[in-house]
Amino acid sequence: MPLGPSSSGIFLQNTPQAQNAAKPSRPTALTIHPTALLSILDHFLRRTDDQHRVIGTLIGTPSPTIVNVTHAFAVLHLEEAERVAVDMDYHRAMYEMFLRGRGESASSMAGGIGQGKEGLSIVGWYATGTSEGGQGGLGTYSALIQNFYEQETAPFSAVHVALDTGTEEGVGAGVRAYVSSPVGVYPKAENCVFVPISCELKFNELERAGLDLISSPNPTNTPLPTSTLPALHTALLNTSTLLNRVLSHVQSILRGEVPPDPALGKYLWKALGAAPDEEGAWATAMQDGVMVSYLANLVRGQAEVAGRLALVGGA
Amino acid sequence: MTAPSMAAALAASLPTPSSAPPPAAPVYEAIPASMSTAIDIEAEIPLTCVQLDALVVTKIVQHGRDAPSASVHGLLLGLDLEGVLEVSNSFPLPSHANDDDEKSSKSIARYQASMLRSLKEVQGDDNVVGFYQATTLGAFYNQTLVDTQAIHQERLRHGGVVIVHDISQTARGNASFRAFKLTSSFMDAYKRANFSTSSLISHRLVFSAILEEIPLRIRTNPLTSAFLNVLAAPSSSPYTSTQLRSADTLAVPPSFSVLDLGNSGLARNLEQVSEAIDNYRTEEGNVAYLSRQIGREKLRAETYVAKRKEENAQRVAQGLNPLPEEDVSRLFKIPAEPSRLESMLLLGQVDAYAKSLESSAGISLLKMYGARAGSGV
Repeated sequence: MPLGPSSSGIFLQNTPQAQNAAKPSRPTALTIHPTALLSILDHFLRRTDDQHRVIGTLIGTPSPTIVNVTHAFAVLHLEEAERVAVDMDYHRAMYEMFLRGRGESASSMAGGIGQGKEGLSIVGWYATGTSEGGQGGLGTYSALIQNFYEQETAPFSAVHVALDTGTEEGVGAGVRAYVSSPVGVYPKAENCVFVPISCELKFNELERAGLDLISSPNPTNTPLPTSTLPALHTALLNTSTLLNRVLSHVQSILRGEVPPDPALGKYLWKALGAAPDEEGAWATAMQDGVMVSYLANLVRGQAEVAGRLALVGGA
Repeated sequence: MTAPSMAAALAASLPTPSSAPPPAAPVYEAIPASMSTAIDIEAEIPLTCVQLDALVVTKIVQHGRDAPSASVHGLLLGLDLEGVLEVSNSFPLPSHANDDDEKSSKSIARYQASMLRSLKEVQGDDNVVGFYQATTLGAFYNQTLVDTQAIHQERLRHGGVVIVHDISQTARGNASFRAFKLTSSFMDAYKRANFSTSSLISHRLVFSAILEEIPLRIRTNPLTSAFLNVLAAPSSSPYTSTQLRSADTLAVPPSFSVLDLGNSGLARNLEQVSEAIDNYRTEEGNVAYLSRQIGREKLRAETYVAKRKEENAQRVAQGLNPLPEEDVSRLFKIPAEPSRLESMLLLGQVDAYAKSLESSAGISLLKMYGARAGSGV
């Protein structure tokens, strides 16, 4: 699932050099969870008037290959013409509180920033919009901030997520991800190359329903349904649309307008041929369902009666 | 609540209205009607609706997925406007496991306070409006939830709400969020800490009258929804086959997990129903035992009093001074009438499990009929 405008570029990875051999290789891809994205957008909405962009910390599972970003929190920072400041105390305090919120005690963090129970730790930072004097949100200050986060994420390298909110002229909404690479003869904090890496949206299938809920059109005016039926209805409508698409495609093949594709045909044959099994199993399952439903009704009725009887019994 | 009235309220709350009113003699007697809805210091406007921000939805769902246990709970932040409680942010609370109570509750309070302070620093909402709790299979009636909500309801403006998120429903493809608050009659009984039978009768309390539901809706702010739409917009990719026209790649492909015919959760649900019924029976047994004991003690006290009276009558007849009537309650410890709260909550749990069982069984029947009709068997 790609995020942002598609690019024709190839993501090149620089091979580990001799002096870098001790360091683990840089991640080549990044996956980001919707919660992190929404947190960033929320932070962007709550920025003050004199803030051009907001930054914050990304939390997830670090890895030498694919970084998985699951949470994000806002960090105070200040950018002026001459200086940049990140509130490091705030960042540390927030991270500690994040771990506490997940039920991890502060004692497990002995020796500064440790790793969480499920391997969650700081993986990098995010920024929105463009900074002063930089291109595509990346400037000298970005390099300095990146340098700071490199220390936080050691031994892994820090990732930087630049989120275009789409509110600026000529910049579409999207997410870009970078890792940094030192450049120049002498290593200097403000000298680095931001190497783009691929970035994808990733979430658990169980969280699917929540995402459907927020991305469904115009959910604002109607109260949330409490039953499963509307969801079933939408799914059935979707299926029906898809079946119609397949049907029209098959018909156009039959009419000889489109050349047939054996692979596709076999796939459709397999998918559509998967009818429910023989009658016996179906009837059994049906009876089970009816029985369970009856039982549930019975239990509810009894519970209701018991509740009322408790009131009568004392009188 | 309609959008224009909200806009009107917002406009009214601005310090200088853009369209200056005609210069008339200012009237200060009452707050203008448009203003009085926005300025609601005493929280007089009752809550009619709870509005969940998309961020809160994903946060709660993620939290529920990360820690699939009953310990998933956290605080909701936001504010209320014209009877709509807008929940704009949330953060998880650490589960109070087996730590010693006072210490852990203190440290949780500290955590909460510093979290609120930190959020305020980045212009987040720092007004606690309630808490959320994740459950499985619809059983959210329990003592902790009721206790926490009772504390909130006394302290928070508007009493706060509890948002119940059902993990098992969500896994089935229907994100379930419901907002509740305790009913006033339950709060009254709770404040007096009196759940004896007579109190239940006078408050007309049954398990379904503990919590009242508040309608809930989801709001995605325009920036988020625009962003999500861009992500979800089909972007043609050169790699997919062009066989089925408009072969697009979606950032969020449609899901069909709702159509799944299997009813794997039913067995677990049935187990929980029977477990809840067992718990209820045990509790009823305890209550019955206590009532029997009360009855026995009362009987003993009564016979004692009767005996003393008889004795006194004899003494008076013999011309002696009657023995003093002693305080019976000091001689016989009549136990207090047992609280029926626990059994009421358990009954509520039985009902909730059965309800979820009923609905999932009903839906699965529906799907089976649908599948049979579709396959033409």
